Amino acid sequence: MKKSLLLLSLVALLGSGCSSTPLDAPGDPSAANYYGVDAATAEALGLEELRGNQLLSQRSVFFDFNKYDIKPEFQDLIGAHAQYLNNHAPARMIIKGNADYRGSHEYNLSLGQKRSVAVKEALNALGVDDSQIETISYGEEYANQECQADACGQDRRADITYEVE
Amino acid sequence: MIYRIYSLFFGVLLLLSTPIYALEVIEILGGKASEIPVAIVPFDGLENIGGQKAHQIISSDLNRTGLFRPLNTLGISNPPSSDININYTKWSAMDAQFIVVGKVESENPISGNIKITWSLIDIFKEKTVVSMRYIGKKSQYRAIAHKVSDNVYEHLTGSKGVFHTKIAYVKKVNNKKYSLNVADFDGFNSRPILNTTQPIISPRWSPDGEKIAYVSFEKKKPVIYIQNLRTGKRTLLANFKGNNSAPAWSPDSKKLAIVLTYNKNSQIYTINADGSGIKQLMRSNAINTEPSWAPNGEDIYFSSNRGGNPQIYKVNINDDEISRVTYEGKYNLSPSISYDGKLLIFLTNDQGKFKVAIQNLISNQVLKISEGPADESPIFAPNGHLVLFTYKDYGKTTKIGTVSINGLKRLPINVGSSIIQEPTWGPITN
Repeated sequence: MKKSLLLLSLVALLGSGCSSTPLDAPGDPSAANYYGVDAATAEALGLEELRGNQLLSQRSVFFDFNKYDIKPEFQDLIGAHAQYLNNHAPARMIIKGNADYRGSHEYNLSLGQKRSVAVKEALNALGVDDSQIETISYGEEYANQECQADACGQDRRADITYEVE
Repeated sequence: MIYRIYSLFFGVLLLLSTPIYALEVIEILGGKASEIPVAIVPFDGLENIGGQKAHQIISSDLNRTGLFRPLNTLGISNPPSSDININYTKWSAMDAQFIVVGKVESENPISGNIKITWSLIDIFKEKTVVSMRYIGKKSQYRAIAHKVSDNVYEHLTGSKGVFHTKIAYVKKVNNKKYSLNVADFDGFNSRPILNTTQPIISPRWSPDGEKIAYVSFEKKKPVIYIQNLRTGKRTLLANFKGNNSAPAWSPDSKKLAIVLTYNKNSQIYTINADGSGIKQLMRSNAINTEPSWAPNGEDIYFSSNRGGNPQIYKVNINDDEISRVTYEGKYNLSPSISYDGKLLIFLTNDQGKFKVAIQNLISNQVLKISEGPADESPIFAPNGHLVLFTYKDYGKTTKIGTVSINGLKRLPINVGSSIIQEPTWGPITN
């Protein structure tokens, strides 16, 4: 839900040429309270950047079946989030690992966790401190239980979220 | 509630001889033991109680085990209702090796109690194996019939039956409606013991029968609860940073093996049932999960991808000595150990199809006992002769069923049209 809002607002921003952001606009309480935080906090967390940056708006890293190594095509996304975290010490990231339905619920919970840890470690390698990241897993619990073949790939992912969202 | 059932009705042993067979697990696995033909004769008297018939309940029980072949007895004229005047020639000609006969009578018109008198008869030896009488309430009719099945099973196999045991399972109505339910082993008399909006996985019944440990996502991440079945009260066993999952009881019900992640990968810990004394079992960079405590109390079986793909291993909790257990197949998960410690069941990926496999831990012989393609969550019956597991009905909706360890009988357990998953099986109680 929040993610789709974010995407919508991103589309709106792009449409308006990104010339200004409603976040910093004084006297606009609804904009200032977008994430339920005040303007100073929004500034400290760099929410403008978090919302406006094309790479930072990408939040999912996808994996192969029974695998948790990060594919090269996700390095840019991870690099952008590492830079954001390094530049905004108060920001807190929660990485949520997922798996497709095949295999046991418990093993998939572990596999999802491995995936979230893999993303965390890629961020660590770029200088991000552990204290900024929490890793959890949902395993296959929110996966499509009837997916076939390639469609199951949508469930093999780690989602990057931020506490403030 | 489940503890009261058997204190309310009682049985009287009328005649008993020693068990006829002692089926060895090895024989069952090897498929050498053919199904024993048994005729369960319609009971005389008031057998039809609210549409339920004792002989059908008993037939259905025995049929599920894959060790018996109940014969069709519907066309039998003048069926016997006791072990007197049995026409052995007639039954022998029908190929019946044993017959079960009985009658249902009103014991007390005021209380409404019923009396069931029954006998198990050996047709080849032309003698009665056991005769018993049970008295109880009408509402306990199914429970009494299951008790008859237990007695027949024990006399013919030398092992205790599981027909009066309970199972538990998770029902998923939709993405916001989950419940943990308890039912008779055949799916009757189900009731929810927990309703929640978030997923529940990995329920495990304590060996003493009193509690169920399970994993709930209601705190926006997996945490472990223990729920007391008598009081309904539950306590939070583990809510550490990261994931808390995969509870497995020790044989004495005093400890659990659990899986925690903190900010890393899944590792196995042991913890006292009151939440004290947490201790990490072993350390590795690989996934270690799905602990299953062996009946010797010293070994914990688990799944791990330390060799690349997931396989079953075991670790000794005293010295952390680890050994690999499964070698057949590239992807083996979800170990469950029989209560005598001789058999292992697990989930195996057989060329893309997930099936239940059974391994004799003495000979290491492996047999696949289900067909897949998306079977999961195998768990042993408390006598080690049946396996509860999930399969996808018409390739779509997950349901529970049983498969006999010889692989001969796979039968559904009908507990409704929702998604039914993550089953566990309660112990044999007296």
